[in-house]
Amino acid sequence: MKKFLLVGLWRDKSRSSLPVLVVAIGVTLTVFMHAYITGFMGDTIEMNARFTYGHVKVMSRAYAELSEQMPNDLALASSSDWLSQLETGFPLMEWSERIHFGGLIDVPDSDGETKAQGPVAGFAYQLLGKEANEMKRLGLDKSIVRGKLPVKQGEALLSEHFAQKLGIEPGDTFTLMGSTMNGGMAFYNLILAGTIRFGVDVMDRGSVILDIADARNALEMSDFTGEIVGFSKEGFYNDEQAMLMAARFNEQQSTTGDVYAPVMKALSQQGSMAMYVKMSEMWSLYVSLVFIFAMSLVLWNAGLLGGLRRYGEIGLRIAIGEEKRQVYFSMIYESILIGFAGTVIGTFTGLFFAWLLQTYGLDISGMMKGASLMMPGVIKARITMVDFYLGFFPGMLSTILGTALSGIGIFKRQTASLFKELET
Amino acid sequence: MKLAFMLAYRNLLGAGLRTWLNVFVLSFSFVIIIWLKGVLTGWDYQAKNDMTHWQIAGGQWWHQAYDPYDPLSLGDSHAMIPEVLNNLIENKIAEPMLYLQASVFPDGRMQQAVLKGIRPEQQIFSLPSQKLDTITDDLPIMIGQMMAKSMRLSVGDHLTIRWRDANGTFDAREAEIVSVFMSNVPAVEAGSVYISLTELQKMTLLHDQATTISFAPGHLIEKPENGWELKTFSQLTKSVDEMIQTKSFGQTVLYMVLLLLAMLAIFDTQVLSIFRRQREIGTYIALGYTRKEVVGLFTVEGSMHAVFAALVGAVYGIPFLVWQATSGWTMPMDTSEFGMAIAQTLYPVYSLQLIITTIVVVLITTAIVSYLPSRKIAKLNPTEALRGKLQ
Amino acid sequence: MIVILKSFFMKRCLFFLIFSVVTNVSAQEADDILARVDQNMSSTNRIFESGMTIKGRRTSRTILSKTYASGNQKSFTEYLSPASEKGTKMLKLKNQLWMYSPSTDRTIQLSGHMLRQSVMGSDLSYEDMMDDRKLTEIYDARLIGEETLDGRKTFLLELTAKVSDVAYYSQKVWVDNERFVPLRQEMYAKGGKLLKQTEMKDVKRNGNRWFPMTVIYKDMLKQGDGTVFTITSIVFDQPIPDHIFSKASLKQ
Repeated sequence: MKKFLLVGLWRDKSRSSLPVLVVAIGVTLTVFMHAYITGFMGDTIEMNARFTYGHVKVMSRAYAELSEQMPNDLALASSSDWLSQLETGFPLMEWSERIHFGGLIDVPDSDGETKAQGPVAGFAYQLLGKEANEMKRLGLDKSIVRGKLPVKQGEALLSEHFAQKLGIEPGDTFTLMGSTMNGGMAFYNLILAGTIRFGVDVMDRGSVILDIADARNALEMSDFTGEIVGFSKEGFYNDEQAMLMAARFNEQQSTTGDVYAPVMKALSQQGSMAMYVKMSEMWSLYVSLVFIFAMSLVLWNAGLLGGLRRYGEIGLRIAIGEEKRQVYFSMIYESILIGFAGTVIGTFTGLFFAWLLQTYGLDISGMMKGASLMMPGVIKARITMVDFYLGFFPGMLSTILGTALSGIGIFKRQTASLFKELET
Repeated sequence: MKLAFMLAYRNLLGAGLRTWLNVFVLSFSFVIIIWLKGVLTGWDYQAKNDMTHWQIAGGQWWHQAYDPYDPLSLGDSHAMIPEVLNNLIENKIAEPMLYLQASVFPDGRMQQAVLKGIRPEQQIFSLPSQKLDTITDDLPIMIGQMMAKSMRLSVGDHLTIRWRDANGTFDAREAEIVSVFMSNVPAVEAGSVYISLTELQKMTLLHDQATTISFAPGHLIEKPENGWELKTFSQLTKSVDEMIQTKSFGQTVLYMVLLLLAMLAIFDTQVLSIFRRQREIGTYIALGYTRKEVVGLFTVEGSMHAVFAALVGAVYGIPFLVWQATSGWTMPMDTSEFGMAIAQTLYPVYSLQLIITTIVVVLITTAIVSYLPSRKIAKLNPTEALRGKLQ
Repeated sequence: MIVILKSFFMKRCLFFLIFSVVTNVSAQEADDILARVDQNMSSTNRIFESGMTIKGRRTSRTILSKTYASGNQKSFTEYLSPASEKGTKMLKLKNQLWMYSPSTDRTIQLSGHMLRQSVMGSDLSYEDMMDDRKLTEIYDARLIGEETLDGRKTFLLELTAKVSDVAYYSQKVWVDNERFVPLRQEMYAKGGKLLKQTEMKDVKRNGNRWFPMTVIYKDMLKQGDGTVFTITSIVFDQPIPDHIFSKASLKQ
């Protein structure tokens, strides 16, 4: 019977290839759309993760309490030990040390006296050396306005607006003045390698980006770090995973009462990200649901129309003595086969397109005037588990439902009048 | 051609249920496309909306020395509120605010903050400023949820505020948090402590002075008095606009996917009808229709679905879209972990341009999708077609 | 931080030196008390070495420095230890302030808004530090009682601002009634809230004057143990060559 139906479907292209094609296209669109929306809505989260929160972040407990004030006096000790522990304990993550600080940038005249100065927010990343992994993550290379990226110790980046205000050119030396982690006065000379545009006023007003080794020297933070941020190698924030990871790590540390012991926080446990994560999850869910609903309607309609069009054939089959019930179920059976085939093909192609967009991204930075650090320059899709089964709802259920509905008509038809119907 | 329209019209009506199913599905696609695009745009505009409602209203005057990113500048960035605005302020169309730096001491920890003086009776911001009218033993203040969270404070908690008056003299008072609000605008919440404007003016000896003056949307006076700088709405939202622009590229992709959905609805119908209506096609040709005319007829018939759909869609879509735009899409959220009730409302943003573009684009694409399978007709052998023989 | 305390210390000296406004009977008495304090605390210039202990949440550290001060307009400080601070110098001339760091070989001037910023996370800004007005110009004094403090009998003076541009609207000062050295000082906000407190201990005889060698400074709104400022050696009225108070001396 199955074989018979399959052969029937195979031979009658109008019954097979077209409906399968329609279902496949519909499912492709659904899967792609969902992956795209997930990526699109998660974009802001990823940006916040990159610059501020990481997917997870490890800090000393005392630092975590006041993290918004950048309290480097409470920084995490034995930073390199913790870093390697995290790397072995959580191999699916990439870990980086970071130090944030506030200070003053002072630009000298030819006598070494103050020519210009201004308050600055400092961001120290692993930019140089063998552990450098932040340059690409932050997209620094794309946001360079003048000069180049730092290539050796002692070189730093300033925000373009700030550099202009200070009247400083790439290659010039400036002094960073701040407070060491012990509360002493910190003075440190840096060479301006280049300038960057953040695209966010508050950052463009006064920011310096430097290698973490320089920050450690300047702030007397040898083997200390403000925070260790972790990013999943997949490249996307997964709230559930991050929370589990944080719980697991904190469980291991729970025995110590030391306020300087490390604590791990997932992105959604920091700042007001919990709400944002929740909001974007919720909105992408609802937007996807509406889309799936619309797609279901289209596919249901296709199934329904497909059934209605076979009016004549059904009539003939009933006329030559086939059981109504059998006709009905053979149609349902067919629609299952069609829905299944279409869904599988559609899920596959949808995932393929989504994968393309996830891996390569759609680079839109060229379409904008001047790239900047804090603007998403590449649009990416994001494939989640859901995408693997999502297509079955519109793909199979709607098709079957449509057929089932249109097939009800079969039972209403009187065998006696069938030949008359068929003549017209 | 007129005949083709008439025929197409009759054919469609004659097909009854099938046509209306298609039309309904297509009309639904119309509404969904416009609405979803509106929701996504609204999501991006949310930041701008929030800014409008919480921070910048319809534009502002800034004291010329005011620099929001330099708290140190706040000491010098205030002046008498220009008298020309008295009337507007009285009518709550313009809102003066005074900003000053202060230190707050929750539980003996010191933190820098900006004191923001706002009139409790103001109406142009969503800030629950009327709560500042509460009578308490201590100074009534309100803070944002972000700050409340980072300082682990909540309504009813007390803290000490220390500030310097206009002469540089230190003063300090106990304050009570009478309200914690949530705005989604970091600049409004981070490090900001809101108190009654007149109270702040009294505390700092800056009577009748302000740092910024915000105007209700549509009421911005574009010629500021001496000592004040004009900040138009678009200047203040420049970086958000850039963000929206970036995001709109991303939405184009979604828009296209949505269009494909609509097309799929037509494509299926059209391919099948041509396949199934060969006898009819044969008849047309036998009756002397040129093949071109038949292709035209089928294209018109397919496209007419879109016209019907646009009409049907308009009947229920316009009220729906208008209702959405005005009352927003409110989502219930599990907000227990935030410690306060949040009704997250998103206002879809759709422009007339979006609606017209959508209709035109759907019409054109339906026409194309209808035309493509119809070309097959040209290859039909009329006699075979007439006999209904499959090819 | 060291600068603040030093400045505090200097203000103290000034306060007892030049208080002269008499408005009522207790003020007359207050004036007499201050005249005696003056003999102990005042000098045209002084050179001292001092240590300042800052108790952070995690660590406590002591910074040693040597200061040359002439009147209240000029001062020059060189940091001696710890190693990270050694060689850092600070010059104050009237209302200007320069800092020199040997590691960067830079002379950095702090001016404008920067002067309003707190000095190394303390509660005093550079601007406060550079307020050189005589306290007599700022406050009216009144004797409000006598109290025993750490076993020493003291006069309790109340000071109220008579000008508007003053950091602390009122103060209370406890003055040792034998040695005429201030032993405690409290600074109040305009609303009456206690903001800061200093305690002077370790009062020693230095030539013909009594002098407190330790000052404990505490911000009353903040938790913590405060900062201890100790003078290890001090000489009064020694000639100081003028070139010390020049920018050139910063780099030497």
